[in-house]
Amino acid sequence: MDKFFRGLIIIVVGLWIIGNVFPSFLLAQKVKKSVPTVRVSVGEENGVTRLRITSEVNLNYSLKKSSNSLEISFKTSSGLKLEKRTFSSRLIKSVDLAKSPEAYLLVAKTATESFTFSYSARKNPFELIIDFKLKEEKKVPAESPSSSAPGKAGSQPVALQTPTPTEASGQNLTTKKSVKTIVIDAGHGGIETGAKGNFGALEKDITLAIARKLKEEIEGGLKYRVVLTREADVVVPLDRRAAIANNNKADVFISIHANGSRRVNARGSETYFLSLNATDEEARRLAYFENNSGELENRVTEKDFDDLKLILWDMAQSAYLKQSSQLAEFVQTELNELLNTKNRGIKQAPFKVLTGAACPAILVEVAFITNPEEEKMLQSEEFQSKVAEAVYQGLSKFLQLYEKP
Amino acid sequence: MKTKKKKLTIFLVLLIVLLVLVLVFFFGNRKEKIKHLSRPGGTVQTAKPAKEIQMKKITLFFLSENDGLLHPEEREIPVSSLNDEARAVVEELIKGSKSTLISSIPESTRVRQVFVTDDGTIYVDLSRNVLEANFYGSSGEMAVVYSIVNSLAYNFKAIKKVSLLVEGNEKETLGGHIDLSRPFLPDYSLVAR
Repeated sequence: MDKFFRGLIIIVVGLWIIGNVFPSFLLAQKVKKSVPTVRVSVGEENGVTRLRITSEVNLNYSLKKSSNSLEISFKTSSGLKLEKRTFSSRLIKSVDLAKSPEAYLLVAKTATESFTFSYSARKNPFELIIDFKLKEEKKVPAESPSSSAPGKAGSQPVALQTPTPTEASGQNLTTKKSVKTIVIDAGHGGIETGAKGNFGALEKDITLAIARKLKEEIEGGLKYRVVLTREADVVVPLDRRAAIANNNKADVFISIHANGSRRVNARGSETYFLSLNATDEEARRLAYFENNSGELENRVTEKDFDDLKLILWDMAQSAYLKQSSQLAEFVQTELNELLNTKNRGIKQAPFKVLTGAACPAILVEVAFITNPEEEKMLQSEEFQSKVAEAVYQGLSKFLQLYEKP
Repeated sequence: MKTKKKKLTIFLVLLIVLLVLVLVFFFGNRKEKIKHLSRPGGTVQTAKPAKEIQMKKITLFFLSENDGLLHPEEREIPVSSLNDEARAVVEELIKGSKSTLISSIPESTRVRQVFVTDDGTIYVDLSRNVLEANFYGSSGEMAVVYSIVNSLAYNFKAIKKVSLLVEGNEKETLGGHIDLSRPFLPDYSLVAR
């Protein structure tokens, strides 16, 4: 029995040691062992192949193009692990990690030699985005505005679509296309109901009803083509909505919404255009546009140009803020005229749906669905028709600015 | 009899070893996480009554029913680390106004984590309850975002930008309007003068 107890004591002491010393040992091991991982994903959109590299640590990198591959070398002393998702891409055949004496090389093999690339990076967390594009031999007349540098038009069509200066795209509206395209976005849809009224009205239903009436109204004028981002009660992702506008080469993008607030008293109509919830970086980018938009081809070097191209992917709207504010003003004036609602004015906010639109774009908050009186109003056909008419009037006045004298 | 006892002892010992290993596993993991993130719940309740707690004044921004702007309201919170103080600010915002102002954030929302990066970006990770609101039109979302962003930037010099996460992940929007994928700078034009 004595032996048994002695054994038990030894075991208890042993366990104590295991419980207290071993964990700290384990922890130390864990910290030492952590090798940074680079995660790689490849996606394609609008003819551009995007390679996205992320890591939990900030990495020093440099890029080198060889015949049919792009080498991204990372200088790091602590090793590097590669984690990639399976992908299929027309342009990028494979992505692999190799080690050279002084650095780790991430090699992206491409299907052809004739590609161009541009990149941007972020820190904390580290993110490096590289966009690959096939070099096109011929100029693309439909996509290159007359004002842009002819030499670059072939290889940089994406870049040229958006940083078009205000005056130039004004000409664009008239000289390039005879029929203008208006894309109307009915907010929300499907399970994404938007704001809800006290009596059960849903934002998604009201926005669709108004969007349809607005389409009829505009088409009745026989001057413009109209595309709706959704025609039924379905979910459409926010970035998809801007993509629909861009794919249709929209001249104007109008998103229709009904407002919601926790304030019972909140009422009235307002028109928004995008504000960049400007981080320092974006403020700089925007300033860059505003200062240089008139003479891109003179001042900007090839490398700057590549950098610019990337801005356009997610912040296309930043090149159209001036026109968007004009459009907002026209529309808000008509809303005030026709609706008899409280004028909440023109405002700026960082709306997800507006960021990617490469044309003048606004978001109309018709009235508050969370206000019982306005909820009833929003549901009435008569009011919806008035809204459609007001937006159409504002839109027409805006477009007349850019019409031939 | 003796062999039976022996077997039982061996079995018990094995069980204890297993238990300890399981504990070590969880304990070890937890410790590593805590190194990066703020201590959950380490704000008010755990303070010992014997020691005097140092308090500091902070300003919260709540929505006003009257003008739809953000109005300041003062609170006292215990002096602590930046992470814990920032967490206290957001938690006080969720608890709501002590006067007639409106808390814009759904009450059931919990603060999951708060952490500040070296460049002055604070990440505020909220539970999914923050998404459950009928009032998420543009104005409703703006009120949630900027009551948090302005309150944090106003009280802490070290905080330059605010990024909102939901359940530990980047979320596109709260309800389909305001873009959460980029960090916010404060916007005091939404505050009443």
